[in-house]
Amino acid sequence: MASEPTDGGTASDRPTLTMSISQLRGRIFELISAGATIFGITVVMGMLVYVARDALRLGAADPGWYLVFFWTLVVPSLGMAGYFAVRDRAAGSVAYAATGIPVIGILVAGGLVIVFTELIDPQEWLALVFALVVAGAIISAHQRYRPQATFERLLVLFLTPILTLYGIPALSVDRAITTPLTGTELFTLSFSTPALLPSVRELLFVLPILPAGWILLLGTVTAPLAYGFGRLIAARRDDERGRLELVAVAVTVVAIAANIGPLVGLSAEGTILVTTALLVPTLTYLEGVVRRREGFAGLAFPVVLVGGTFVGAVLATSLGFASPDPWLDWSFLTSAPSRTPEDAGMYPPLVGSILIVIVIAMSAFPVGVGAAIYLEEYAPDSGRLGRFVDFLEVNIGNLAGVPSIVYGLLGLALFVNGVGLRDGIVIVAGLTIGLLILPIVIISSQEAIKAVPDSRREASYGMGATRWQTIRHVVLPEAFPGILTGTILAMGRAIGETAPLLMIGVADSVRSVPDGFFDIAAAMPAQIFSWKSELAPEFRTGVMAAGVITLLVVLLVMNGTAIVLRNKYQRE
Amino acid sequence: MADQNSEVVSGATRRKFLTVAGSTGALALAGCTESSSDDDDSGSDDGSSSDGGSTNGGDSLSGVVEITGSSTVFPVSDTMAENFMDEHPDVNVTVDSTGSGGGFDNHFCPGQSDLNGASRPISDQETEQCTSNDVQPVEFEIAQDALTMAVNNDNDWVDCMTFDEMSQIWREDGVENWSDIRDEFPDEPFELYGPADTSGTYDWFNANVIGEEYGHTTNHEPTEEDDLIVQGIRDNVAGMGYFGYAYYSSNEEEVKALDVRASEDDPCGSPGLDTAKEGTYPMARPLFIYANEEQLQRDEFYEFMRFYLEEAEKDLVSEIGYVPSNADMVEENLQKLDEAAGR
Repeated sequence: MASEPTDGGTASDRPTLTMSISQLRGRIFELISAGATIFGITVVMGMLVYVARDALRLGAADPGWYLVFFWTLVVPSLGMAGYFAVRDRAAGSVAYAATGIPVIGILVAGGLVIVFTELIDPQEWLALVFALVVAGAIISAHQRYRPQATFERLLVLFLTPILTLYGIPALSVDRAITTPLTGTELFTLSFSTPALLPSVRELLFVLPILPAGWILLLGTVTAPLAYGFGRLIAARRDDERGRLELVAVAVTVVAIAANIGPLVGLSAEGTILVTTALLVPTLTYLEGVVRRREGFAGLAFPVVLVGGTFVGAVLATSLGFASPDPWLDWSFLTSAPSRTPEDAGMYPPLVGSILIVIVIAMSAFPVGVGAAIYLEEYAPDSGRLGRFVDFLEVNIGNLAGVPSIVYGLLGLALFVNGVGLRDGIVIVAGLTIGLLILPIVIISSQEAIKAVPDSRREASYGMGATRWQTIRHVVLPEAFPGILTGTILAMGRAIGETAPLLMIGVADSVRSVPDGFFDIAAAMPAQIFSWKSELAPEFRTGVMAAGVITLLVVLLVMNGTAIVLRNKYQRE
Repeated sequence: MADQNSEVVSGATRRKFLTVAGSTGALALAGCTESSSDDDDSGSDDGSSSDGGSTNGGDSLSGVVEITGSSTVFPVSDTMAENFMDEHPDVNVTVDSTGSGGGFDNHFCPGQSDLNGASRPISDQETEQCTSNDVQPVEFEIAQDALTMAVNNDNDWVDCMTFDEMSQIWREDGVENWSDIRDEFPDEPFELYGPADTSGTYDWFNANVIGEEYGHTTNHEPTEEDDLIVQGIRDNVAGMGYFGYAYYSSNEEEVKALDVRASEDDPCGSPGLDTAKEGTYPMARPLFIYANEEQLQRDEFYEFMRFYLEEAEKDLVSEIGYVPSNADMVEENLQKLDEAAGR
């Protein structure tokens, strides 16, 4: 990664005699490497095109349809791209971003719509946000008025969020305690307490009147998001303006959209989420383009794309050309699996996979990063204990290479047979795959922490900082982008993991969307796997391909998020 | 010092944020129109929209019904699940294809699943395992399958085989070359593709065609996925394999199905729904589902079972590729169900 420049520097210093030989070998090596790269990329692209062809059923369209779209969409957009590449580089990059940002916005909006329709309704969301704001306020107030009480602050830091979110709920336990794995009954635990303290979250529901869902979303999603992006604008400008302006514009436009949406048959909540995710990042980007006053031409590119598609569709319909009848369409994304290939959809597995990834993130990230910090910063590196730590680290590396089906068995033994959870539920799937990627998270976090130069740490110690302060304020901020990238890439692997899911009994066919983390769920890779063994050939070619493409897009979004986050933190 | 500075800056922005959030919140409250007290579960009306007018509006059934078991019975159970959920969207019927034996051992007998499909009767050992876990299996015969023996499309040397010939091929330490069966067959080694030993199809074939006294060959590619069997046969001229009729009926052009006869004296019977129903196809076999008796007390499971057993008479079963139950079987099944559920 970092050794490139030194190579270039020493090559010219070498004696002339060896130079001709090493150049030949070097050229051959370069060609071989280039060949390997091209081969790899071509094979992967070929596979993707093959799957995409099945998923979109391109063969079903008339040649005339292709001709129409070639002239309305392909020619104008390629022409523009060519012009940008040759004449106007700045406009080219504007075109690239101005097309990409709305696309990502739409994908994110899809995720948000799923979250707010299946997981949490706007009222619960408001309660959650409100409780967290209260917790944040209490913590910062404590920090301000009692800055010296370190231990107390620790307590406040942990207890406040728990109390505001959960209060002191009524506890009622009636459960036989058994030894894990063998299942011998030890004793029965049985007690119950009354609810002592309601949580802030519950207090909110005591209010007799709560605003309509879309108004809540406007306040708790649109406004904060616009404020966050507004800070970006303000940071870019010298005059610190843009925050309130963006919030005002976004809230106004989105509110208007929310009132128009229901008239054309969309839900107000859905309209809010989609317009917010589309509008706010796009406006932020537009402000930058307008202020820099260059590359305006690039803004025409997305317009040409959308316009070309529209004109093409109108022309093709009026000329009577058959359009392709893709397996991967809107109804595929929004309906449940079915025995009829045409009706088959992927919504429950999609939601299931998202829930599973949430569990994975919440379980593997804290444990993995914590372990990495301990191993890199605290663990002894000499003496007998040091050798033990070395032994541990080697074995974490080994664990990263253990086949995933073994983790599936481990999850089955541990969570289903040991703890006694039901098989095939979200939490079991998430924890099992969380175990699977834990070694990867630890190793990549360790690498990121190792990459922080020791001079930084020593400088911090030299100024009298304690080890905790050094880790908190020097090491972690520096290592964070690396940790995040490694973790999200591991998540990408996790979402496609199939074998452990089959071991812990994630069912082939689940038509209901899971209600929570303890509900039975379908998962995308398991669903794809079960389509593969369906009777009707349409499942094995078309529907399965559509499922694969959906999974790939979700994966790309996750990896894209990793890249964006990394770039953001590296710049700061 | 730098630290303190940043603290102040972040404090200031946080305060500003609170102001903004507060004022938008106040605005939102001012524009509030709707008193909301809908605490009832609104997440239940998911993508599985019920098309057609068969929606029972005020239906109170809800819960989860878990089905495991044979991959042969899977299409039937899955269709039943889909149709039942069209009428009762709050009941989540999940179907997993685990193989008959795999379903009994790992899911049904430990009490994890409510219903297990099986392409052979439950074994004594499995009954024992179930009862030791307080699970009483209740057997229902729901359909008939014509187990299909298939070869490659380019295989022009064989059309009909006897049980004895198949037994020689599929038994443990059996013959290795086609020419060992009949002299006119080519001298090519068999490429065998069949189900895994967790499968009821495997057990049935072993018990009824190979013969109890022999073991099933381990020299085949075992899989729970019928499409892999078909793929293997399709790609190997010397290939041979067996699977349920449903898979053959939706992929007839991919492989060639063999006629079979029990012995040299019998006429050859070709696989099909009619021949299986008439009894002229010797490899016809019953398909079963096993319900957990105790769980039948649950309304949603009882109703689902009723639905399943009644619908098993209809065309949807023959569309999948099995022989549906006849009226007598349905009546007998329903009687058995009510007896087991105590209704």
